[in-house]
Amino acid sequence: MTTPPDRTTTAEHPERTVARQLQAARARRRRRIRTGFGRLALYAFLGGFALLMVFPFVYMAASALKTPADTFRYPPKVLPREAEVIVVDGEELPVYSLPVEGNPTDVLLAEQGIEAGVFVDPDNPDDPEDQVAWPLALAEDTGRTAVVDGEEVGVFVVPVGGDTEERALARTTVVGRFIGQDDPSLETFAVVRTAPAAEAITARWENFSDVLDRRGLDRALTNTILVTGLVVLGILFTSIMGGYAFARIRFPGRNALFLAYLGSIMIPFIVVIVPLFQLMVSLGWIDHLGVLVWPFLFNAYGTFLMRQFFMGIPKELDEAAVIDGAKRWRILWRIYVPLSWPAIATLGTFSFLYAWNSFVWPLVAIQTANEEDWVLTTALRQLGGQSVESPNLIFAGIVIAVVVPMAIFVAAQRYFVENVATSGIK
Amino acid sequence: MTTEVLASRPATRGDAWWLTPLVIWQAVYAAAAALATGLVVARTGIVITGTPRLVAIGILGLITLFAALSVPWIIRRNHRGRLAAFLLNLVLAVGAGFLTLQETNVFNGLDALGGTFGRGIPFLALMAVGWLIAGWAGKVTGPTARALRLAARWLVIIGLALLLIRVGLLPGVWTFLTRLVQPAALTPAAVAVVASLWTRILLSDEPNPIFRSTKAQLEIMDGLFFVSPNVLGFLAFLAGPLAFSLFVSFTDWDGLSEAAWVGISNYTDLVTDPFFLKSLRNILYFGVLAVPLSVLPALGLAALLNTKMPGMKFFRALYFLPAVAGVVGVALIWKQLYNATVGYINYGLVRLWDLINLLPGLDLAPPQPQWLSSPSTAMLSMVIVFSFSTIGLNTVLFLAGLQSVPGDLYEAAELDGAGPWAKFRRITIPMLAPTTVFVVITTTILALQLFSEPFILNAPQLSPNGPGNATLTPVIYLYQNAFERFNQGYASAIGWALFLLIFAITIVYFRTQRDRGVLST
Repeated sequence: MTTPPDRTTTAEHPERTVARQLQAARARRRRRIRTGFGRLALYAFLGGFALLMVFPFVYMAASALKTPADTFRYPPKVLPREAEVIVVDGEELPVYSLPVEGNPTDVLLAEQGIEAGVFVDPDNPDDPEDQVAWPLALAEDTGRTAVVDGEEVGVFVVPVGGDTEERALARTTVVGRFIGQDDPSLETFAVVRTAPAAEAITARWENFSDVLDRRGLDRALTNTILVTGLVVLGILFTSIMGGYAFARIRFPGRNALFLAYLGSIMIPFIVVIVPLFQLMVSLGWIDHLGVLVWPFLFNAYGTFLMRQFFMGIPKELDEAAVIDGAKRWRILWRIYVPLSWPAIATLGTFSFLYAWNSFVWPLVAIQTANEEDWVLTTALRQLGGQSVESPNLIFAGIVIAVVVPMAIFVAAQRYFVENVATSGIK
Repeated sequence: MTTEVLASRPATRGDAWWLTPLVIWQAVYAAAAALATGLVVARTGIVITGTPRLVAIGILGLITLFAALSVPWIIRRNHRGRLAAFLLNLVLAVGAGFLTLQETNVFNGLDALGGTFGRGIPFLALMAVGWLIAGWAGKVTGPTARALRLAARWLVIIGLALLLIRVGLLPGVWTFLTRLVQPAALTPAAVAVVASLWTRILLSDEPNPIFRSTKAQLEIMDGLFFVSPNVLGFLAFLAGPLAFSLFVSFTDWDGLSEAAWVGISNYTDLVTDPFFLKSLRNILYFGVLAVPLSVLPALGLAALLNTKMPGMKFFRALYFLPAVAGVVGVALIWKQLYNATVGYINYGLVRLWDLINLLPGLDLAPPQPQWLSSPSTAMLSMVIVFSFSTIGLNTVLFLAGLQSVPGDLYEAAELDGAGPWAKFRRITIPMLAPTTVFVVITTTILALQLFSEPFILNAPQLSPNGPGNATLTPVIYLYQNAFERFNQGYASAIGWALFLLIFAITIVYFRTQRDRGVLST
């Protein structure tokens, strides 16, 4: 692109100088951010914080694929692991992971009940990390003795960590003989009870079917989809109509009514919960799915949001249409609505999240025993209380509840995040 | 313009065939409303007691009055008659329609749909595909776009039809019809149909010359029609219950038997109720920690994210995830993280202390708190979960505020040699003050209503001075009173007290900020 020649370059205006300085400062700033250490530090910090925010979800997703025992492991590990087994002659044999000549190796148990000794370092006899169990028959007696815990005991040469060392025989035990899974010539000995199992990273997808089929989350999921869909459609419809009326049609009491709407946003839902519950009881709706839908098709936030957006649409558009004889109904749906997709997408996403994640009202309005009408949040809460022994199922349930809103958010975030910001929706 | 045209031809303001039936209908309407008012006043047939009775008498009386007035108004071809008849029939149509659906059990028929809806979900996906294609069609032009739009429309229509059939629409409609022919349902259904026909006629253009309605008058009718779904819902499910709640808070109602007026004793009881006072102390402690922890990091993050470098939107979306995930899921995840023996947090502390102990001469035992069950850390755990959930949202709000800060300010400051910190301190913070006020107020309102986190994480019990009520919050106490002990009156009083607290804190904060000149308007 070419720019027209600057006619004032010859005369040094003071304003020009300032402008040039500004430009230089701008360039400096850009340089400082774009290059070097500052940028790296910024990304490191933001990334670190992001890790903090995302870790619980990573942990959730990984734990949803774990076995129950794996969720109680200490130290905890993120990825799901299961003990490896090998099938020999139709029999499942556990695979162990033991050091052979200093290298960790996958081994199989070949023989049990071998008499062995627990050999300790005479200088440090109580450290459990520094003890070796080895068959007495294979330990080479040095003939010397050492004193352990005030007792005189024999000293033997035993393999320790790929090498051999002199150790004192503290007591006797029983060990098993393990041979290498791939190379049967490798051999080692260890106490069978405490031998660590070889583990592989696996995924236990059955957790999901378990939680859907047997814990009743399938019904809760379809209920939630149904309720959320109806609430979103209802809120969109009433908010678009109400927002248009507040934005564009003059009628007595409009401003007072709008103020009342704004005021009602400030009132905590919890204040309404008791009388609303009573109203639902008297209508006979309590403990039915509809109780989660019908009262929530009207939303002051949504009306406010749509009104604000409609206010920004040039008035001349519908004035022209009125002269054309188009009725307001058609003006709204043919002119205003197509122009308002960002606001509608925002309101749709917002009301989706609001309906999908609502917890207090379903908790109050649907009885615990009425599993047929549970939604995901209440079902999850029940699951959290019942499946204390198998957190993997709880996590699978959370994944099911969380993955849909997250997908919607990712799809709509272009509209959503920006409009949350401008409308201040919470 | 239209007005003048209409006014200029008085000779044609004639009649329409429906005018006489309308007058008769309005007269019957007035008589029926008068009868209903009489029944409520005499307490026969319709029995409502106490203040609700007075409210019902007032509303029914007004309806009777305007229905009666509409008759002479319509006869005199006065626009007021049209307006009154329109509104009364609109309300009647909604009310009778509601009654019909209630009598035919459509509202609770949703349960049955919940059972069959799962079968229809694949077709929902089909509709979504159609919708996506429609969106795609908007981006291309020419005959392709037309074909795409056509395909999209048919996909949606077929998807919807299959969905409705699959979820059992036909048997559902049959059930509805068999119930509809019962007199209890058929009467309101007929009334609803007639009333909505009247509404439609009166809203159309046809009566304009008859009633000489002006453009402004017609606009009023349109306005009332457009807000009516919203306003009726607002009155029925928000404003009405709110007023009722205020009334109940002055009674000893248990939700079943008749309510007795107890004056302000519910409120005076609150002041001496150790549990309520404990819950107040808890929530104030929570708020004092949770609000700064949710707002200050968000402010810092927003300032860092407010650059034009690549990837900032990605980080913004990541920070927002907890807000999307919903409080129940988030709380359950944290419940496992907080586990005192195998949870990641205590494990992290062990590893952190291992690092610290690398320093010469140090051999400290890592703290292993019982996060959720120990009274000293229980509320702190809630603070962490709450902040985790709200930081992302607050960051986005601050970012929006930052967009409106003119970049020139920073450039001018740089000319004066200001460093990053000075710019943040002297420009960002003052310029963001209105946003900060908003963020602080909304976060405070949210914090004071804390319920789900403690309810799921450690279910506070009411044991006097015991460790069980370390996370007792006013809303949890309200819940327990209303739905476990059935002290509905007392629960309502707690709700209003909490509302007053929120209101007072908001006003005080707003005032101090305004006095400091932060809010210019």
